[in-house]
Amino acid sequence: MRATVLRTQTAAAARRPGRLILTGLAILVASFVVFGTVLVQQITERTVRDNLSGTPAVTDLVIGSPGEPPPTVADVRQIRAVPGVAEAVARASAGISVGEGYLNLQADPGTGPLSTVRLIEGSYPDQPGEIAVTPRTAERLGLSVGTTTSGTGGELTAPAALTVTGVVETAADAGYDAYAPDSAVIAWARLTGVERVDLRVSADASTEVVRQRVSAAVAGQPIRSGAEVREAEANAAAEEVGRLFILVGMFVSIAVVAAALVVTSTFRIVFAQRMRQLALLRAVGASRGTLVRALTAEGALTGLVAGVVGVVSALALGYALPAVLRATGRAVSAPGLPLATAVLVVIGAVVLTVLAVLAPALSAARVSPLEALRTASTTAGRRGIGVLRLVGGLILAIGAVLAAVATISQLPKPDQSSYDPAMPLLLLVGSGALAFFALVALGPLLVRPVLAVVGWPLRQLGPLGRMSVGGIGGAPRRAAAVSVVVALGTTLISGVVIGGTSLQVLADREMALAAPTDFEVTGNGATLPPAVVSRAEAAHGALARVVPYRKVDDATLLRGADRLGAVESGYPMSDLDVAVLPSTGDLDVAQGSLDDRGPGRIVLNSWVARDAGLRAGDTATLAVATRRVDVRVVAVLPGDGPLHAGILADPADLDRLGVPSAYTGLLADAAGAGEDGRTAGVRALRQAIAGSDGVGLTVLADERDRNDALVRTLVWIAVGLVSLTVLIAVVGVGSTTALSVVERVRESGLLRAIGLSRTGLRTMLTVESGLYGLIGASIGLVLGVPYAWLAVQALGIAAPLTAPLLPLAGLFVVLVGLTALAGVLPARRASRVSPVVALGTDG
Amino acid sequence: MTTHAPPQTSHAAVAAVDLVKVYGSGETAVRALDGVSVGFGRAEFTAIMGSSGSGKSTLMHCLAGLDTATSGRVLLGGTELTGRSDRTLTRVRRERIGFVFQSFNLLPQLTAAQNITLPLDLAGRRPDADLLAHLVRVLGLGDRLNHRPSELSGGQQQRVALARALVARPEVVFADEPTGNLDSRSGAEVLTILRDSVRDLGQTVVMVTHDPIAAAYADRVVLLADGRLAGEIDKPDQVSVTDALRELAARA
Ligand SMILES: Nc1ncnc2c1ncn2[C@@H]1O[C@H](COP(=O)(O)OP(=O)(O)OP(=O)(O)O)[C@@H](O)[C@H]1O
Ligand SMILES: [Mg+2]
Repeated sequence: MRATVLRTQTAAAARRPGRLILTGLAILVASFVVFGTVLVQQITERTVRDNLSGTPAVTDLVIGSPGEPPPTVADVRQIRAVPGVAEAVARASAGISVGEGYLNLQADPGTGPLSTVRLIEGSYPDQPGEIAVTPRTAERLGLSVGTTTSGTGGELTAPAALTVTGVVETAADAGYDAYAPDSAVIAWARLTGVERVDLRVSADASTEVVRQRVSAAVAGQPIRSGAEVREAEANAAAEEVGRLFILVGMFVSIAVVAAALVVTSTFRIVFAQRMRQLALLRAVGASRGTLVRALTAEGALTGLVAGVVGVVSALALGYALPAVLRATGRAVSAPGLPLATAVLVVIGAVVLTVLAVLAPALSAARVSPLEALRTASTTAGRRGIGVLRLVGGLILAIGAVLAAVATISQLPKPDQSSYDPAMPLLLLVGSGALAFFALVALGPLLVRPVLAVVGWPLRQLGPLGRMSVGGIGGAPRRAAAVSVVVALGTTLISGVVIGGTSLQVLADREMALAAPTDFEVTGNGATLPPAVVSRAEAAHGALARVVPYRKVDDATLLRGADRLGAVESGYPMSDLDVAVLPSTGDLDVAQGSLDDRGPGRIVLNSWVARDAGLRAGDTATLAVATRRVDVRVVAVLPGDGPLHAGILADPADLDRLGVPSAYTGLLADAAGAGEDGRTAGVRALRQAIAGSDGVGLTVLADERDRNDALVRTLVWIAVGLVSLTVLIAVVGVGSTTALSVVERVRESGLLRAIGLSRTGLRTMLTVESGLYGLIGASIGLVLGVPYAWLAVQALGIAAPLTAPLLPLAGLFVVLVGLTALAGVLPARRASRVSPVVALGTDG
Repeated sequence: MTTHAPPQTSHAAVAAVDLVKVYGSGETAVRALDGVSVGFGRAEFTAIMGSSGSGKSTLMHCLAGLDTATSGRVLLGGTELTGRSDRTLTRVRRERIGFVFQSFNLLPQLTAAQNITLPLDLAGRRPDADLLAHLVRVLGLGDRLNHRPSELSGGQQQRVALARALVARPEVVFADEPTGNLDSRSGAEVLTILRDSVRDLGQTVVMVTHDPIAAAYADRVVLLADGRLAGEIDKPDQVSVTDALRELAARA
């Protein structure tokens, strides 16, 4: 009997491999994603290792390591003198400030196998005071071969001359890189020690012997082999990749949970469809246990097939992708063949599927033998949920609410100085997880109320809409099972969108303050020659906006005769007009309003306001040296002030305070867009500065670009990872619709017989599948938006709450569209079946 | 009793002319209908009888535009149904034909009332309130209208299906073994309602049945054997039908 039952069930599965794949599609996708992630990690790690640009491969020995006292200049000389040493290169660097800006001067031999640079113009320096720069540095700082400037850096305190003798290419060009041989760097910057010494052993000497000699020559210095150092560098890089993939793994596990949920619901549908057959088996004497075992075996088979197909397709793609990328000229390494992991993923797929199939199998085996005698029309799915499930769901929901309340109670208060986001965030994640499982448990109860709201417009559209809504409402368990997965995806994506927007606003605000314009020209403590300002203002072609300002560093605030605040040196104060800069024009404020600015009125940054104990509306006395002006605070900023100013005051007040009328700096924007516009702006400003000693130019835009790119990359990575869950949700909707179409083929036949057209049937089924998305996306947004807001608050980074309506609406529409699309194919197939055949189907 | 009555296609509500239906092809081909010509009069209650596999359901499906014949013609009130597109046939079914099947007549997720008005809903028409009230009263469904099929007995489900078939005032109601699943009392109720709808509402009804008692409710019985017309009985009663069936079985 048992064997027969098992055979009837597995034979049914094996006869229709398509159905088997459809049932296990979510597991297939999950296996694909999991194994794909493993391969991508391998690809990334290998690519990082293979393309590492650190210690040159020919390095035999490395003397000195971070964390130990560095080798001294005398050590370097000693090492060079050791017999058997073909070449020894000291790696050292010094930060140099020159009139044009900042330079990072690094030691490099310039030629030979240990060099990391390639000369492309002029000659490589060999005397102290000579340097080679990278192309971007030359462009940015206005340097060219032959330019002489002066600067200080390293141990050198009095400015000394620096002459550019060449331009070199390097692996990474930051825009402030200069190179010279180690002797020149050491001599010019008066260095006493170097970071380390890289050493090449001559061909006729043994590395081990040289190592011992060096060790004797520079006692106490750690010596590592070049291979060892390269390995350590590679490991450090790989570790970074590993850390990134821990994060990826988190998202992948959420996707796997989603897949388990989807496959549970698909099995529920598959078994419901076979209810009569199962009842018949029960009627002729099969025990419940036999049925459960047979159905579970079917689940295991499904998991096995889906897992293998998923892993194999991931492997195929994992090998094809690097090959394709290499063909287009990118250096991407192929992954290995992690067989053990592949087997593990398949086993995982089987275990997961068996776990997922257990609940549906148990409830299917509970079918009463009488069910076999009933006509199919009476076996509509159960509507409600059991008491146990209800109680469990309510407990989960209460837990979620409690955890959320606890999170809210721990949110940072305004003006709270020390805040640790770990606990509230943990609570929030816990609350989210509880809420999600509560949703899984209580879902069937939510479907009808949600449907009543979101389905209303559809019901007004006529009988088709009414029937689609009715079809979903008639089987709330099926609808809930699918919608919950869509809801999970929506919650995650909307959270990422909202969090990303908040971060973007925060980053924009910070950037508006730290880098309000593309360029800044400062007198480095002194005032700007008036000619610089007028020449910059005249450069209309290259500069769109030139805003000069004054800044003093020793403003104080008094009440009566008492000095406010605990800061000795006074506050930085500027008369920069925030309204004229587009980036600062719409700065948000914590208190008051920026519109009230004017003579006798000041704006404080949050730190000065806290230190001096002032709020918007308070009055105080502003002082520089001995001069005083009575002022009123009109606004307090939520964070720092533009250009790190603590106090923003009116130019007239600075005059009254005796601040000299000469500007101390100016801000400017490039007129053109992109790298070209920026270079033109740099040139124009450099011409404006020409010949003025001590005046420096900073390209703020570079920093802003880096930050923008970082935030954007982060958001995109997060969206990409979260999309995995959405993909599984859509797959779930697709397979559910396909299966429920099969399940309800007689219903379709009846509808067609009494006069529903093919198009009508197709529309109805497509709308039904879109409704799964509509319900899921609605629940997802209702949950996702508040959770995202809480998360942004719990981070404690003073990011504003945002409601990016357009992206959220877009997300909603896309999700509903995708789920509707997932129903198109099954709906087409259903509408093709002739009504007579459909009615004759054994249901 | 003659074996070949000329088909009264001219004044018939629905008629078949030389209808042939072949399932499959080659060796396994089955001639389910083998040149059937028959007409069903207006406001007449006709029963189709014959042994299992004789082609009754197939004939009914072809007449109702559910299935297309291999050759021959089907005329519904003078309209040619043969060779029409699926779209046309769908509209014909929705607007001019009513169905009662042996089982699976109702959509499980709709209430009885919703099931009854479903074809009208699909056609975008409002039900005739008087007729609906009349049918609900006659069929005794008054207190069951808001129940779903799973909450109804087999007989009640069948009566709901009957109400659905009748409420749109179709030209022909087709019923395939409508009492097959019912006990004799529920069966008798359903048959009485069918006959009354013919008498009182002038409805045309074509019913497939195996049951001589059920056939006795009809005005005429058409006999089928091996996909061919095998005779008919006017004003049938239980005895004449049983005799005819016995004779048919003996001939085979
Ligand atoms: N889809 C099909 N494919 C092949 N043969 C079919 C198909 N449907 C019916 N047949 C065959 O056509 C013949 C007539 O079938 P039909 O269903 O019309 O018989 P019936 O008179 O309704 O029988 P019953 O009283 O058992 O319902 C039978 O021999 C049957 O096997
Ligand atoms: Mg039949």
